[in-house]
Amino acid sequence: MAERQGGGKSDLTGRPRRGRIVSKEALISLLTVLMVVAIWYYLTDSFIDKLFFPSPMDTVLVVGRMEGVLVGYFFATMYRVVVGMLAGAILGVVCGIAMSWNKWINSILDPLIEALRPIPAVALIPFFILWFGIGDTGKLILTALGGFTVMVVTTLEAIKHVSPIYIMAAQTLGASRLTIYRTVILPAITPPLIGGMRVTVALSFALVIASEFMGAQSGLGYMIMLARRTLQTDAILVGVIIIGITSWIVDRMVRVIGNYLTRWAPSSD
Amino acid sequence: MSAYIQIGNVQKSFEGTTRKTEALKDVNLEVQSGEFMCLVGPSGCGKSTLVFIVAGLVMPSAGAVHVGGVPVTDPDPDRTVVFQGDAVFPWMTVAQNVAYGLRQSKASKKEIEETVSHLIELVGLSGFADAYPKELSGGMKKRVDLARAYATNPTVLLMDEPFGALDAITKEKMQVDLMQLSVTETDRQRTVLFVTHDLEEAIFLADRVAVMTSRPGMIQIVLDIPFARPRDASVKLSREFQELRGKIRELLVSEEEIEI
Repeated sequence: MAERQGGGKSDLTGRPRRGRIVSKEALISLLTVLMVVAIWYYLTDSFIDKLFFPSPMDTVLVVGRMEGVLVGYFFATMYRVVVGMLAGAILGVVCGIAMSWNKWINSILDPLIEALRPIPAVALIPFFILWFGIGDTGKLILTALGGFTVMVVTTLEAIKHVSPIYIMAAQTLGASRLTIYRTVILPAITPPLIGGMRVTVALSFALVIASEFMGAQSGLGYMIMLARRTLQTDAILVGVIIIGITSWIVDRMVRVIGNYLTRWAPSSD
Repeated sequence: MSAYIQIGNVQKSFEGTTRKTEALKDVNLEVQSGEFMCLVGPSGCGKSTLVFIVAGLVMPSAGAVHVGGVPVTDPDPDRTVVFQGDAVFPWMTVAQNVAYGLRQSKASKKEIEETVSHLIELVGLSGFADAYPKELSGGMKKRVDLARAYATNPTVLLMDEPFGALDAITKEKMQVDLMQLSVTETDRQRTVLFVTHDLEEAIFLADRVAVMTSRPGMIQIVLDIPFARPRDASVKLSREFQELRGKIRELLVSEEEIEI
């Protein structure tokens, strides 16, 4: 990190020093945001046609106009993201652990996962619409599939990299295989699983929005598609901004939970 | 007195992709009950492998190890190990680490708590029971590891270069503390097999020192260390101590020459 000067200087742990309510760095970051909005305002006020990009004012106003439908669409999307993501991730971790536990399970599942892994889940959307229609089921399964693939691979890799010294120590202290999985493997793989979970969050949003583009009757992706057809660029932008903010918040939540679960690990952020 | 640990004609070879490596060849060694035996040898002579075989973590290619007359087939909390690397579970507090072995047994909660707090005090970590290992220094982590290995009250304590990664001062402090521990009432009966490449450490700690040859490892000679226990660090400066050290050093150097 670049050298800093003045009151906002960090201590050795990288945390801002206390004593100021807002650090100099935060102030500069805030200025950047304000600057971008100002440039945006100026450009949409002069050069750029509203048809291509809405002004900040239009964007704010459209939220008021669409409030009722927006809330419904927001929850429709969030439901698909959260349920699909959690189902896929849990199944992925469980399968990964089962595969490392038993070589037969591994031999059965490994080729299936290897075949699935290189296929981008979005490519399967047409099939999913064909099989499950444009309701929630297909979107949930697709999202779960994406999360599953990420988490099963992350879990397998993480277990492979657990230091054998921990396992040997547990063995000599009388731990059974099940106990070793519960008290050694599981905590040891938690840090990489948190990383995998963050990838899964981003992927889940992408998959839900993409599947809402291709066929849906609700959701933010559906709203964006409708707005595109009627050239309502302000509504498109509102959809994009909401997705961005929500995705950031969910990622933040995963990080907070992750930091708590790995509070024992040296130098967590 | 019959030998408590009997290592009989133990051989170990590892199948590599290109060739077979013979790590141990016909190792025979007997450690008496309650004895502190140090194992020294050139690096790569299979000292650690031998300790892992006694622990039941590695199976010998031929031969057998008997502990208390029973052949070793699996790891057992009666034979705990202090490893060279950092084996303390970072996700558990000091107290949870020390309690780990006892949790696997049928010990009652109260019993576990008492043993754990006693051991934490014994290794000098009072006040750190609820600390995570990341808050401890390398020497303190080794003390946790030691307490954890003691907790199941094993008849055999196996130590694989436990102090190898510590700085000289911390190392000497650990050696003196281990010496103190080894003469306590309960510990006098414990059989210790301690691997090291530090000759001073070996002579200071051991009742007997077994010197190994370079790979494939065999026991070259077993020497008696005549100093009475408990020993003080000052014994290292005595002439007799230094003579012994010179003798073992020569044995090892001549081995290295054969290798070349």
